[in-house]
Parts: sequence; structure tokens; C-alpha cells
Amino acid sequence: MLGLYIHIPFCSAICNYCNFNRGLFDTDLKARYVDALIAEIETARLKSCATLSPCATLSPNATVSPNATRSPNATVSPNATVSPNVAHDFGRARADTIFFGGGTPSLLEPDEIARIIRACESAFDLASDREVTMEANPESVTEARLAAYRRAGVNRLSFGVQSFREDELRRLSRLHSADRARAAFAEARAAGFDNISLDLMMWLPEQQLSEWLESIDAAVALDPEHLSLYMLEVYPNAPLKDDMARARWSQAPDDDVAAMYVEAMERLEAAGYAQYEISNVAKPGRRSRHNLKYWVDGEWLGFGCGAHSTRDGVRWKNTSATEEYIDQVAHGGALQVDIHHLTPDQQLGDALFTGLRLVDGIDVNAIQSRYGVDVWRRFGADLEPFLEAGCLRRVGSRLSLTRQGMLLAHEVMSVFV
Amino acid sequence: MDPSHIRNFSVIAHIDHGKSTLADRFLEITGALQAREMEAQVLDAMDLERERGITIKAHPVCLHYTANDGQKYVLNLIDTPGHVDFSYEVTRSLAACEGALLIVDASQGVEAQTLANAYLAVENNLEIIPVINKIDLPSAQPEEARRQITDIIGLDGDHALLASAKAGTGVPEILEAIVARLPPPAGIEDAPLKALIFDSWYDPYRGVVIVVRVIDGVLKPGMKIRLMAEGQDYESLQVGIFTPKAVPVDQLGVGEVGFLVANIKKISDAKIGDTVTETSRQAVEPFPGFKPLKPMVFAGFYPVEGHEYPLLRDALEKLRLNDASFFYEPETSLALGFGFRCGFLGLLHMEIVQERLEREFNMDLVTTAPGVLYRVTLTDGTVKEIDSPAKLPDAGLIDVIEEPVITAMILTPAEHVGGILKLCQDKRGIQKALEYLASDRVLVTYDLPFNEVVLDFYDRLKTISRGYASLDYHVTGYWPSPLVKLDILVNGDPVDALSIIVHTDMAYERGRALAAKMRELIPRQMFEIAIQAAIGGRIIARESVKALRKNVLAKCYGGDISRKRKLLEKQKEGKKRMKQVGRVQIPQEAFLAVLKMGTDSE
Repeated sequence: MLGLYIHIPFCSAICNYCNFNRGLFDTDLKARYVDALIAEIETARLKSCATLSPCATLSPNATVSPNATRSPNATVSPNATVSPNVAHDFGRARADTIFFGGGTPSLLEPDEIARIIRACESAFDLASDREVTMEANPESVTEARLAAYRRAGVNRLSFGVQSFREDELRRLSRLHSADRARAAFAEARAAGFDNISLDLMMWLPEQQLSEWLESIDAAVALDPEHLSLYMLEVYPNAPLKDDMARARWSQAPDDDVAAMYVEAMERLEAAGYAQYEISNVAKPGRRSRHNLKYWVDGEWLGFGCGAHSTRDGVRWKNTSATEEYIDQVAHGGALQVDIHHLTPDQQLGDALFTGLRLVDGIDVNAIQSRYGVDVWRRFGADLEPFLEAGCLRRVGSRLSLTRQGMLLAHEVMSVFV
Repeated sequence: MDPSHIRNFSVIAHIDHGKSTLADRFLEITGALQAREMEAQVLDAMDLERERGITIKAHPVCLHYTANDGQKYVLNLIDTPGHVDFSYEVTRSLAACEGALLIVDASQGVEAQTLANAYLAVENNLEIIPVINKIDLPSAQPEEARRQITDIIGLDGDHALLASAKAGTGVPEILEAIVARLPPPAGIEDAPLKALIFDSWYDPYRGVVIVVRVIDGVLKPGMKIRLMAEGQDYESLQVGIFTPKAVPVDQLGVGEVGFLVANIKKISDAKIGDTVTETSRQAVEPFPGFKPLKPMVFAGFYPVEGHEYPLLRDALEKLRLNDASFFYEPETSLALGFGFRCGFLGLLHMEIVQERLEREFNMDLVTTAPGVLYRVTLTDGTVKEIDSPAKLPDAGLIDVIEEPVITAMILTPAEHVGGILKLCQDKRGIQKALEYLASDRVLVTYDLPFNEVVLDFYDRLKTISRGYASLDYHVTGYWPSPLVKLDILVNGDPVDALSIIVHTDMAYERGRALAAKMRELIPRQMFEIAIQAAIGGRIIARESVKALRKNVLAKCYGGDISRKRKLLEKQKEGKKRMKQVGRVQIPQEAFLAVLKMGTDSE
């Protein structure tokens, strides 16, 4: 079953550490963007067919000339990457999750979110128990607004809290305070949301173990259904890097980060959460169904500028620039860039290293039946040292990382590429 | 050719003083090459030479020059290598000449190699014409250069010519001076053939091409000739001159310079400095001063990927075809697997070979720390030459170890003398002389253990003198020394490729510095790594690389997978470039740690 990812590239301020595809908010641009998104979703059925078809030409410069024949009843906006011979209807693909990510999706009006969800419903066969997640920033929501999102069809919220300490939030140039985060959470509950996730970050500039655990405790006190814990990654060109150099902020040594990670996981487990992925924990039945698709070798379609898709052994990305994206949709130009037809070995490798992110790990029998490859025979010798060192564990046909192994995940995963 | 119209000359200079540019101007002016054929510095044929701005091989070229007196002359320019590693080749080139141009950079003045080369030219009884080059530079001080030529070298600075080879000014005057001031060759046409080999290279189509200077007699195709060092006979197939293109001629007579092809298969059969004569009518005495070149600096070369061993062997074989002074033999290291012990004339020579292997042959190499050739007398009286720490016999079997000694000439502005003396003392040197050549120029002469110089002497000399001191040296002998083998153990196992031979007094300090440097260079891995330095089984230093605790970036959603794959691939690639020793992965640069420890640990 497909997952649908919708990218909203706007922010009311640009965070100093973020390298997502985003830009500053602009009302007019937003309106045009939402229209483009809806147009793209409505053509998705054809696009996914083209992607699936082995004879489809998907290289970015292989655009069909504008007067090429299209399907005769093309009510959809022209999509030049669709070659005529595959532009027939395969039927609506089934999907069961929608994820609004960004940027800051909560900058969209509830009715805009509703229109997008309706477009998804018309283009896809959406499961009735669908999970519809929206990322939100604490500073941009009110109870009324959240209730309206809920009426629009959103049933899961993911708040980018990052920290419950004011000093840490300031260093990250975040707009909200810890109290605003608590208030936003309460507003979400009042609006009826019973499935809420919080994002928290460790390894922040100047952050000590005890300070990080303060944020964990504060999150637990709110009792959300789900938490994502990330290690801050300072990108080489992030303004945060300059801020850190100027203020002489430093990040804790590796050994301390390892302790941050392990202690947080232990505390969360004691509070009734179960870790299910390297950086995600959830109450029973509350795992992110959408995000799981990324780790179980699943398929998803991304809509909007810079959104990534994976289907049938092909990965591609939409053009990143917002204006260009809108323009291409309007004029039927090619949206897809960076199209990779994965080789069987790459598919296998990706399935293995993403699968190992899960606490349950990978089932080598399932891999065998899907890829015809015996994991032990192919990678056993390289995996042996990690099993010995206690980074990997093998139970029956399952291979998974231990908690210590999760901290060294990249050491293990590089075996598969 | 009438010898009175021949002039054979070399151009000698310190590195970068403009020798090759001047040679290019000569080619241009005498019409040997049209301007459009000129590529900067034609004579430095190898890419590497052009890039580094150094001359590695000596190339002769025959210039046809009509002098102001209306007479036509043949000027044979014999270019010389500009680095101490190749000083033997310089002496052989000088021996083929009657005169030399001594180039002095107008802003740098006289430097150590200027001096050393001038002395060599004087020893070879050459007439020397000093030329002050680069007078067009804003920083040029031609009068100061003149004074230094007079005061430091002892030549007539007042008659030095002023030139800018780059701009072309003063170059015609130099050509005139060559004709007027240098003597023509003196030789006897009827005497038995006597020709000096001063260069040779391997040509895949013609075999070895020998470059000779005829002293006496005539060299013609069809002659039966003998190379006197080995006593081997060959048939002369072709002789010719370089214009600079190789052009066959009927014969090479007295004083002429050119090439000889004689179906010689190996470059080692045509040694530089050897004498060519006629088999049936031999020269009474071969040319004096012949000595086979002996590599003095040794290092292990290993392919990063074991399966590339045959490729490395083929590449070394090809390089050796053209470089008789380079030596290699198979070597096996417990740590690095199959590789080669290679011998070189010096560090630059080693770097050149290493770079050519990497560039021309695409080899990915692990190089072990360079060392020198030791002489070990065992208790039973036998003498062994040791080119690798791994081959050093057990201490109990050794009577005496001797190490090669160089005599170093360091020319420096007076203000840096203190620092340089201290450096030489630290390096176990013995002062031979300290002379004030001019008010502010000091010539420091030291005997130094060659091994210390190989390690990091040159870089430190440059640092101490802020770049102003220059160095020239020659290996002059051996002296006995209390030397021991220092081993490095990684997780308890000695890593043979990391062993070095050191002086007893320095062993403790070196061991500590080396272990500390290794700790910096070996990345954290899945387990703690112990690094120890040991002498004869006694641990003298210990460091540890803590176990890696974290190598994960937290999130990985739909858009991150491709990026993550790239990251993992890069990480894997990085690991491939490391050498697995036991369970431990050691990066290539760690095997050269000994060269790098001087800088940081002070």
C-alpha cells in the first residue's frame, strides 16, 4: 500500500540548523503552490503508471515534445514525462497514509489542507483507516485552527518541539518557548487529537546529559503517543555553524551523546513507550504507519517541490525550487529530476540498511523470497565481527541491531552498500 | 666537425633560479625550435618535471649558432638535474663539458646548490661564466648577487652577465660569451675511441639510447664497441644528435655530443659514467670517476588492495627500465601483505617514483617510512647490508651497526645560524666548519646521520630559517652508532611495517611520540585499540584509541535514503583504503607517521 507525502516548503522563520527544502512564507505564492499541488496529485495516477512502466522514458531530459499525442480525454494538466503509449488508466492505486511535511505545513489554512486531502481521495483508493499526519510548529497553532485541521481530515500531529529548555531553543533560533509547546499540545488534545508525536533533539550546542533528560521528562509529562529523538546534525553551510563558532558553543563528545541516547531510550521505556526504530518510540499501536514505509522496503509517492518518491525500484525527486515547480506544473513540464532506476543490488542494499533501522530488524527469509539472496551467504563474513561485538543480534531468521549497535548503525550498514 | 667550432657547456643553478627557462631561450634564438613549437620549458620532458619546475633527467641539445664574427658554431647544451638526489648525474654531465653557465637568481642570491655546483664545476676544470638572472624582478639586486659571486663563490662577479631569461634580455650576450669565453674541446681524432656515457634511457622500439660525449676518436654506425665497466661488446647501429629532435648523423667526432643506439637491452648495462670504446682498438684508460649508482634510501611500497600486487610489479618493472638507480625486490609484510622494498637515491627520487606510480599507473599505495642502508657486522664477523628494519638481526647477534653519514653544506643568512646549529646537534651531527663567506652569509658544514636527514631535516631547516637556508649534501661514509629497532604493537601484535631503526638515546622519546601520533591517526573503531612502542620486547610507551561509541545520524526518511546510501558508500570506500591489520584498520598515512611526528609533538 502506498504512502503519500505532501511537501509544504514554507516557514515563518528559517531555523539556523535546518537543511530541509523550505523558504519564507508568502501568501500569494502559497495559494499558487496549493493549486499546483492539487494539479500534481490529480495527475498522479498517470505519473505513477509511467513510472511503473518499463518502457517509460524517465530521464529528465527525455521530455516528450509538446504536441505529442496524449490520452485523448486528458482533463489532467499535461504532464510531458508521460509517454503516450503508457498513459492509460491502471485504476486508482491504494494508499493508506498521508503525511504533510515541510517546511511548516501548519502555515496552510485548514481549507487548503482539506482540498489537498480531497485531491488525494479522488486520485487514490484511500483506506478508510488512513493515517493523516501533519507536522506543526507550536507557535503557529491555536485550538480552533487545530480543530479545523481535524475536521479537514488530519488525524495525527507531529510537533517540532526540539527542546523544553529555553536556552536551547534560543540557540536553535526557534520562535516558540517551552510553555508555548506545552500549550500547543494541550490545544491539540482539546481539539480532539489522540495521536500526537513530539520531535526532540539531542547533542544540541552546549547541551549536557542532564539537560537533555529534562526535555525527555518534560515530554513524558505531556504523555504524547509518539516521540522522535534526533541527534542534531550541523550541516557545513548551516548558519548554526557560524553561530556556534561566534558564541563558542560546542557539542558534547561522542561518548556523552551515546549516553544521551541510551538513557533517553531507557527512560522512555520505563514510561511505557517502546522503541521501534533508531530514533522513534511509540505507545502500543501508535507507530507512525507512514514513516514505517521508509524502513520496510515500502513504496511512497511525494508531491510538491523537492518531494521524493519510490515506486517499483525507481526513486525520483521533484524539482526543488518552489517557483519552478509551480511553473512546471502549470506548463506541463517535467517535474521529476534525479531519477534512479535501482539495480537489484541497490534495492537489496537499501532494503537491508533501512530495515536494520527497525528494532525488529530484517527477516532474512523475507529478503530471500523477495530478492532471491541469502543474506548470510552474501554478507555473513562481513557481519560476523558485528555479531561478535554485540552490535547485531540474530534471533531465528531475524537480524537486528542491539541498542549499542544502533549507535554504530552506519558501521554495520556500510556492509550492505 | 671542426672541434674549434664546438662548445660544450652545462647550465648549473640552485633550484628555481631559471635554468630551464634560459635553455628555452637558447632554443628559440638559435632556431632549434620555432616559437610556435615552444611549450614552456621544452627540456623538462616529463609532466612531473614541468609541474614541479625541476629537472630530473639531463637532456643534451645541439644548437647551431652563428656568432657575431660570422662563424658558425655548434653549442651543445647539457642540462643537469637540479637536486642533490641526482648529484652524481650532475658530475657526469659536467665531465662532458668544457664550460658552465652558473645561474644566480638576482633576488635570491647565491644558495647552497649554487655553491656546491660551482665547486663541482671547478673540480672538473670547467670555465665558468656567472649569469645573474631574473633582473627584471622588482626585488632583483644584481649588485648584491655580483658581490656574493665574488665573495662567496670566489668567481669574478664583475664579469657576470645580467639577464632575464623570461623576458629574453641579455640572452644573445650569453651566447656570445659562450663562444668567446669557453674553450673548445681538446681531443685527438686519430686516437682510439673514448666516449663518456652521461645519460641513457630506454626506448621501447630501439632499446637503450645512450647519450655520449666523444673525447677522442670517432664513433660511427657499424663499429664494434665495448662498454668498459662491464667489458660487454655491442654493435653500434645508429648515432645522432639532438636538435632537440633525435636526428641520425654519419659519425660523432671529437668533442661532439649525441646519441648511440647499439641494441642494448637493459638500462643497467649502460651505466652513467661508463666509457665507450672500440672493441678492436681500445682506449688506454677509461674515463675516471665511474661509480655505479647505489640506492641509499629504502621504503616499502604495498598495494592498498592486495590483488593489485601484479599490477604494482609490472609498473615497477616499467619504471626501472628507465631508471637504473631505482631498485626493488619483493618483500612480504605480516601487516601489509605482498609488496616491494624499493631503493632510491634520496627522498625526492622516492617521491617521484611514488607519484609516477600513482599518476601514470593509477596505483593506490601504502608506503612505509623511508629508512637508509645500514651496515651490520655480526658477532661471527660477517657484514650485512640492512635495508629494512624487519631485516635487522637479533641484538645478541650484532657486533656493530654502522649508519650512513652525509656531509651537509648549509648556506644561511647569519641570523639563523643559532637555530640551525641546534637542529644539527639535535640530529646527532658533528660540526665540520662554520665560515662567514660574506658579512651576512654563513656556510655551515656538518656531518649528519643520513637517517636523521631523511626523517624531517629539510622541512625543519626551512622552518627554522624561514625558508632562507639552503642545503646540499652528499653521502660521505659510515660511522658506528648504537642503534636499536623500535617496534610498534597494535593490540599486542607487532606491526612489522611500522618498525623503525633509531639511535638508543632517542628511542624513548621517538617511541612515545610515535605511539602518540598513531593514536591521532588511527580512527576509533568498534573496540578499544592499544598502541605500544617497544624496544626488544620492553614496552616504553602506551596509548589507546578508545572504542567508537557513535556513528549514526539520527533520521532517515523517504528523501534521506539516497543521501544515506552515498554516505555509507563513502564510508565503505574510506575503509577500503585502510589496511586491515588483525582486526584493526590502519589508515595509509599512519605508516608514514614517523615522518610527521616532529612537527606536532614539539
